[in-house]
Amino acid sequence: MTVTFPQKGLPWLLLLPQLLVTAIFFLWPAEQALEQAFYQEDAFGLSREFVGLENFVYLFTDPLYYQSMLTTLVFSFSVAIMGMSVALFLAVMADRVIRGKLTYQTLLIWPYAVAPALAGVLWWILFDPSMGPIALWLGSAGVDWNHYLDGNQAMILVVIASTWKQISYNFLFFLAGLQAVPRSLIEAASIDGASPVKRFWTIVFPLLSPTTFFLLVVNLVYAFFETFGVIDATTKGGPGQSTNTLVYKVFEDGFIGLDLGGSAAQSVVLMAIVGVLTVIQFRFIERKVQYS
Amino acid sequence: MSDVVLKNIGKTYLNGFCAIPSMDLTIEEGEFIVLVGPSGCGKSTLLRMVAGLESITQGDLLIKGNKVNEKEPADRDIAMVFQNYALYPHMSVYGNMSYGLKNRGTSKAVIAEKVNAVATMLGLEELLERKPRELSGGQRQRVAMGRAMVRDPKVFLFDEPLSNLDAKLRVQMRMEIRQLQRKLGTTTLYVTHDQVEAMTLADRLVVLNKGVAEQIGTPMDLYNKPATPFVAAFIGSPSMNLFDANLTEKGVSLSESLYLPLPHAHRGSIVWGIRPEHLAIVDEQDADFALEILAVESLGAETLVHGVLKDGSVQGKAMVVRLAGPHNPELNSLLWLSAPATHWHIFDAITQQRL
Amino acid sequence: MIENRPWLTFISHATLMLGIALVALPVWMALVASTHPASAFGVGHIPLWFGSAGMETWQTVLFEQAGNGIDTPVWVMMLNSLVMALGITFGKIAISLLSAYAIVFFRFPFRNLCFWIIFMTLMLPVEVRIVPTYQVVANLDLLNSYTGLTLPLIASATATFLFRQCFLSIPGELVEAARIDGAGPWRFFFDILLPMSRTNIAALFVILFIYGWNQYLWPLLITTDDAYYTLVMSIKRMLSVNDGDIAWNQIMATTLLAMLPPVAVVIGMQKLFVKGLVDAEK
Repeated sequence: MTVTFPQKGLPWLLLLPQLLVTAIFFLWPAEQALEQAFYQEDAFGLSREFVGLENFVYLFTDPLYYQSMLTTLVFSFSVAIMGMSVALFLAVMADRVIRGKLTYQTLLIWPYAVAPALAGVLWWILFDPSMGPIALWLGSAGVDWNHYLDGNQAMILVVIASTWKQISYNFLFFLAGLQAVPRSLIEAASIDGASPVKRFWTIVFPLLSPTTFFLLVVNLVYAFFETFGVIDATTKGGPGQSTNTLVYKVFEDGFIGLDLGGSAAQSVVLMAIVGVLTVIQFRFIERKVQYS
Repeated sequence: MSDVVLKNIGKTYLNGFCAIPSMDLTIEEGEFIVLVGPSGCGKSTLLRMVAGLESITQGDLLIKGNKVNEKEPADRDIAMVFQNYALYPHMSVYGNMSYGLKNRGTSKAVIAEKVNAVATMLGLEELLERKPRELSGGQRQRVAMGRAMVRDPKVFLFDEPLSNLDAKLRVQMRMEIRQLQRKLGTTTLYVTHDQVEAMTLADRLVVLNKGVAEQIGTPMDLYNKPATPFVAAFIGSPSMNLFDANLTEKGVSLSESLYLPLPHAHRGSIVWGIRPEHLAIVDEQDADFALEILAVESLGAETLVHGVLKDGSVQGKAMVVRLAGPHNPELNSLLWLSAPATHWHIFDAITQQRL
Repeated sequence: MIENRPWLTFISHATLMLGIALVALPVWMALVASTHPASAFGVGHIPLWFGSAGMETWQTVLFEQAGNGIDTPVWVMMLNSLVMALGITFGKIAISLLSAYAIVFFRFPFRNLCFWIIFMTLMLPVEVRIVPTYQVVANLDLLNSYTGLTLPLIASATATFLFRQCFLSIPGELVEAARIDGAGPWRFFFDILLPMSRTNIAALFVILFIYGWNQYLWPLLITTDDAYYTLVMSIKRMLSVNDGDIAWNQIMATTLLAMLPPVAVVIGMQKLFVKGLVDAEK
């Protein structure tokens, strides 16, 4: 793009709204988070004291923080892997059928539009220990389901609710990826004597790897940041710390625990993590551009 | 022994569209058969039916005497070269060529031996570790052929394999394919829309039109004795001059005033044709007709003259003359031509069959 | 088809239908639950088939009061959600169009710096910097206001990035032609750029509408006044009454009503939605 307009002042005018909003609602808070991370503030916000790196030292010596990290990893990878497996399986099936493909797509993608908090509520009542049909059914099958008391079960519940919402997204991208695999490759492989299952694992799946990698990153980012509503509406990080992910912890320590310094320090750490993830995502985009 | 037999083969799609009404073809062992026709004529469909990529809805397909209608492509002992080559992009050349053998449980040592032998034959030894995207068009084409040859199948199937190459490479690969096929002696079914490719490669040609075989025969049969006006127009370049005409007691009537004498028992509407290369320039008194010259294409080795018949009728009929060597006739002048009766092609206008 | 294996096709259809059923299961249960009186939930299990109290419950929550401690009817909260969703959507699209236009079609100092500052907002979801952002909005006295609901969320790197890509694909000759035809920057923007970006804008609209409608944490924090409650966050407030007193039928009806608009948008504008998703991730 070499052709431009010569005006010098106009572009600033055009950028102004975006820059103002970014400065006020992003740069300023980010700066405050950074600042607060080095202060200790009392619960009423009346006085504060510079404490240097103490908030970070405290954070990184707090076993609860490591536990939350582990919880986040378990949660994120469970959501990513479950969501992607189910979606890939459904996409392979949808790619096979000739009639009704669009109808199936329509009926599978709508959960994308459901707010995470609502997804949490919907699954909660299915699993509610005292009245949920699935919990009762599990009970009759010998599994004592109570996600209010059992940390693992609470984790399973939030994973299911978060996965349910994300299947639609993965499905769409996998289906598009599958449809982009040239038909003639499949035919060549079938002439080469590969069974449908073998064709999938030796030809189709390797060719999907850019899509798979892309979805893995997107799903991890989703599970990290966008599942706040699911957790808040169902388990609130509990029981104990069992579903207290890093993002939820920022909120909980800041708004409920009123530990502003600690919460701010966590925000700073999270910003760093997001930065790394963004770089990975970008590397990937660059690679994708080169590939095509 | 005949290798591949198509008995009353037909294909009707689920939506009722009939791509191939009925086709009979017997292919001898080692024969090179080319299916040729305009796009949409059903030639690729037919090839894919033989490959097992499309279902056969009618008739029997025999390979080496066994009926294979219901068999999977893998179980028909065929190999196919695709138009876009269909090389597996994530596998090396070696991986591409060995994939079929590996799927059949061939031992590693045997695979290595076979792949290396074929790679040597095709000059691919240096490229075995490369990925398809690192190869040129011609090299990809060779790998695709190598992948087919490694398995030593009973039948080779080619689906327009040269259409993605530039003109020069196409001529070269055409010769290579022919030589390889002779050397290997493998029965081959080859689909193309290019009549030059078809003529140069085929032992026998099948000219397809709307799913029907217009004519099956050697290239020279088709050139000398096209069975239908369609074949007459399709084989040869530039294509044959064809005219709607009448056969009367006075001969072939091209128009009210233009008659070509011919003793023939048949009477009625016909299609009369003569190839551009069979028209000759003669003196006015020996000429059968005159051509008013509209355009001249000088190609060096030959000259193509486009014009309309000058016969007094308002709408002259377009005709092409092919002259050897350079000529430079004046535009709008008249060219006196003779059309020797030995080179005429006459078809019944109703049945479209050769008379 | 390569194989004539009708059973494989059959399995594909069966699996897809099973998948659809599983995906729809929670919504089905919610629908059933909303048709029973609140008392039905105390007896130990959710009824598995429709009851007869459906109309009554839906009418109550929609027009009278949502229940469970919220006196506002659902339609008012729906209106709030709509204002927030549309505010965020139009805001994002408008300021992103302008800034992408500036970045692509003008040359000025610090152009790249501006792009990167905007781009950084992509990195940080509001959840991560929630505490300081709340403080800023509180300082600006924007709690319990539509401005507070929408303004902090409309800085959008995604939309800017998308429009930048879209504009970059417009051939330079077009700008030259427009300038030769005497069009200034504004004419060019309105007569050429906007019409050419129509489908991109529409696709982005669908995605952003869903994003805006489904905001949860932000409205939860900054609204304490019923009059500004949005529908999605109200669920959380409804759930915070005492366990034994939760009227599940009303919660389910409200939940379904809260899902309805964005789901309808996805289904009704499926093509644009898919395009929007794909574009946004390029």
